[in-house]
Amino acid sequence: MNDLVFGKYIPIDSEMHKLDPRAKLIGLFLMIGAVFVPKSWWVFLAIALCLAVALLMAKIGIRMIVQSFKPMIMMMIFLLVINSLTIRTGDILFTIGSFAIYKDAIFNTLFVIVRLLLMISITTLLTATTNPLDLTLGIEWLLKPLEAIRFPAHEVAMMVSIALRFIPTIIEETMRIMNAQKSRGVDFENGRLSEKISAILSLIVPLFSVAFERAYELADAMEARGYVPGAKRTRYHVLKFRFKDYLFIFICVVILAGSIASRFYL
Amino acid sequence: MSLIEIKNVFYQYNETKKAVNGVSFDVKQGDYVTIIGHNGSGKSTLAKLIAGLLPVKSGQILIDGKEVNEENIASIRTRLGIVFQNPDNQFIGSTVKDDIAFGLENKLVPSENMDAIINEFAKKVGLEAFLNYEPQNLSGGQKQRVAIAGILAMKPDIIIFDEATSMLDPKGKKEIKQLMYDLASGDDITIISITHDIEEVLQSDDCIVLNKGKLFMHDKPENIFMHAEKLREIDLDVPFIEKVRETFGKHKIKLKAQDLKGMVDELCRSSSKR
Repeated sequence: MNDLVFGKYIPIDSEMHKLDPRAKLIGLFLMIGAVFVPKSWWVFLAIALCLAVALLMAKIGIRMIVQSFKPMIMMMIFLLVINSLTIRTGDILFTIGSFAIYKDAIFNTLFVIVRLLLMISITTLLTATTNPLDLTLGIEWLLKPLEAIRFPAHEVAMMVSIALRFIPTIIEETMRIMNAQKSRGVDFENGRLSEKISAILSLIVPLFSVAFERAYELADAMEARGYVPGAKRTRYHVLKFRFKDYLFIFICVVILAGSIASRFYL
Repeated sequence: MSLIEIKNVFYQYNETKKAVNGVSFDVKQGDYVTIIGHNGSGKSTLAKLIAGLLPVKSGQILIDGKEVNEENIASIRTRLGIVFQNPDNQFIGSTVKDDIAFGLENKLVPSENMDAIINEFAKKVGLEAFLNYEPQNLSGGQKQRVAIAGILAMKPDIIIFDEATSMLDPKGKKEIKQLMYDLASGDDITIISITHDIEEVLQSDDCIVLNKGKLFMHDKPENIFMHAEKLREIDLDVPFIEKVRETFGKHKIKLKAQDLKGMVDELCRSSSKR
């Protein structure tokens, strides 16, 4: 569980790390848009090349990106199976026994998979280069306009920030409970489905109980330190847009524009 | 004048059992007060009532003449801090400096002044080299020191330690206790420490013993431990030094010294006279 790469912050010094989190968040949305629009493999290749440059600038190895794909492998296989069963158009590529696999099924799946992989890479790039606290400040800034319709932007950002802060603590707690249950004979790996469900329950119930206890204590600690939801607060981290942030957003806008243009010209 | 006045305070979580049952006592400014009692005696509930984290059902708690209620709680909280038992559950920031900054942000301290305050109090608790550390990379004692720095940075008059050393290893315990003694002796901070550590009680100015939600004893620690039998009745222990005094007392040797070294000197003197 500690090997989880997706969403992990890598604290190193790089140009990508130094960008304003708001610029990176805006860039993320623009790039995800750019990934969704095109229908040409050449555009995907161009986006992948841009991403490779960003990864180089961020000093993040390709290995980490590949590792971040791991949790998605099962979903991709599932997608391939479903598409092979449901898409029955185009030429027959090959047959398995009497079952034919069509060209469209494979190509549509590959399209979706490439889009997914690019999206995961872009998101990993954002989370790996942005401190969780800065990320929540960026999210809060993006959600700020919604306060006009009484959306609790600050509270949501605070919740996200606390959730991110508690991920390692909860993982540690999960491992501790798993070991305690294993020592009492609970088998998490083997057995029938019903046994596995009961094993998982023996983990989830105490985990929830501990999480609630922690939440109550944390709420007391926050209240005791003068935190009042919705009240005015000053900020230790003050975000500032600089020239390079505007430049980064501009590059992302150009990529999105290029991607949209490719729909008409390629 | 007393800084904290607790007047006939009651609190109950459910209808059957009173967690705090008619407790009254005063705490003077600058005093180091320990509260002892077995589990479920109402110590932590009392701490939460003083900090305004639970509402008083009946009775009154006054801090510097101001009643702890919804109306005054915001101003009272700027003067009072509480350190909880589990260091993991009170870490709010993703790094040490972000955590210390949390209270300052709530207190509306301008951003440009925060670094100086954070550095000052991180230095005070000996964590100036750990400002960029994440909580999971700190030891239990270090985490508690961060919690203390976060509270000290808010410049409170009163700090409540709610069994702040009970989850720590011996090294962490020693560090935090030393920090508490330094705070009690150096500054004009009033300390209320809820503890099971009988040795710590000996260092305090005043001790309050709770039993089943009621005030069982309230006196100087040395006077409290004179009544060892009374404490044992409610399953509380006495410090090692009091056990030594008690044992010699049974042999009609009365020792007056308040520390172990003093007792040894007293014994040596009396044996050389014989």
